[in-house]
Amino acid sequence: MAVSLQSRVTVIWAGLIVATGLSWQFGHGFGFREKFHYATAAILIITFVKIRFVFLDFMELRTAPWPLRMAFEVWAIAACVTLLGLYSLGV
Amino acid sequence: MSSTYEVTDSAKPHLPGESGVWMFIIGDVLIFSLLFSVFVYDRSQEVALFIEQQQLLNQTFGLVNTLLLLTSSWLVALAVHGARTGHLSQARGCFVLAILGGIGFVVIKYFEWSEKLTADLTIETNNFFMYYYLMTGIHLMHMFIGIGVLVFLWQCVRDAEFNTQGMGVLESGACFWHLVDILWIALFALLYLMR
Amino acid sequence: MNIRNQLICAWSAVGFASICLAGFLFANFIPPISPNLSAEEVAAIYSENVLSMRFGILLIMSSAGFICSFAAALAVQMKRIEGDLAPFTYAQLGAGCISTLVFVFAGVFWTGAAFRPDHDPELTRMLNDLGWITLLMTFAPFIIQNIALGLCILSDKQAKPVFARWVGYYNLWVAVLFVPGGLLTFFKTGPFAWDGLFVWWVPFAVFFTWYLVMFYILLGAIKRQAQSEPTVAA
Repeated sequence: MAVSLQSRVTVIWAGLIVATGLSWQFGHGFGFREKFHYATAAILIITFVKIRFVFLDFMELRTAPWPLRMAFEVWAIAACVTLLGLYSLGV
Repeated sequence: MSSTYEVTDSAKPHLPGESGVWMFIIGDVLIFSLLFSVFVYDRSQEVALFIEQQQLLNQTFGLVNTLLLLTSSWLVALAVHGARTGHLSQARGCFVLAILGGIGFVVIKYFEWSEKLTADLTIETNNFFMYYYLMTGIHLMHMFIGIGVLVFLWQCVRDAEFNTQGMGVLESGACFWHLVDILWIALFALLYLMR
Repeated sequence: MNIRNQLICAWSAVGFASICLAGFLFANFIPPISPNLSAEEVAAIYSENVLSMRFGILLIMSSAGFICSFAAALAVQMKRIEGDLAPFTYAQLGAGCISTLVFVFAGVFWTGAAFRPDHDPELTRMLNDLGWITLLMTFAPFIIQNIALGLCILSDKQAKPVFARWVGYYNLWVAVLFVPGGLLTFFKTGPFAWDGLFVWWVPFAVFFTWYLVMFYILLGAIKRQAQSEPTVAA
């Protein structure tokens, strides 16, 4: 019953393109206007969501031994939080 | 010897590629994470400069490169899947297109850097451009290696004798390319988009 | 199989790491003297601490030879992978020996600065500059050692490989981490100056850890060789 791997990967690609477009818009004033701190936070979060899909579905970590997958999931969260934190130092 | 293309039992975890390549990938991710952190920290100390200099970047080139690399990564995933299920012609075609995508990225990068250098913006101009050239430069080196790896993978699937024994190599190489994609996704956000 | 001689050469890694590190500590080179200092400030550093600096730099230079002997120990095991026609083995050995000279010449330049502290400060600073540039910008011999070792290990097709495959990838990654050293020529401050994160701290940590890791790995490989051919006298 599983959706074929191929179409899954294609759907994810489409999603990545859309997410790129969305973060592009946020980076150019859409949605948040002058509140660019929120825009940047949104951009960073979307960025790491994109990265997560790439490592889960393109790099196939979704079906990999869980310690490896966990390592990347933890890294993604830690990196996102760290960068948001460092960003906020300048805000 | 018959070529067998077993579809992985989805209940059993499967490590893509060789375990050693993951050490390399994880190491690379950690170092880039360090680089990203240092960049964002330094930026937080000179926000006005970074925002002002960021305006000088060619956003279109950045966006096109992002789309190219995402597409190239998708094509590599398709190629690996094709090789795994015996559709070698799909694998070959997708690898070729992925390589072209990678070359396209490099060509655009060439024009982008030329544009900057002609405007007298160099690695020594200020901290923003130091990071710009450094991060895109180190990424570019990864791109060159990645394109080389893709060419090698393409050669593997051109061999009519290719079978599941070779999947480990394919997955390893593909994972490296996806790593290059991941790094660029982050770089694009940090250099071009963040305000 | 010459196990004993191999072990002697392998242990030189410990000699190198300990003496070299001690040298850096005595010379107060951790962290490095900032490239952003004025000539007077650099001259002041050299004249105030001249005795411990001379001694520390001497230790650094003395430790350098062990880089060669350790490279030789690695080469012997690499040759088990490559056999008679062993280009990676020779590349690693050659690069390792050149790395010895990197430490020697860095020491020579720093000694030049410490030898007559009452020089014109500009001269002292220039010699200091040369020392740091020699040590940290010369990623080329170092990475060839690592790349050759890495590729050699990855090319091992034997049923019982001499080294585990991850060691090959580890070496390639180490090589990548040395490359930013080349950028120190552009910067006097920041993470890419010779006292910065990516030119000093990361390569420094990676370099010394590599000695410890490869020492341990090499001992394992030598031991396995001794066990696999027990009838031949060591």
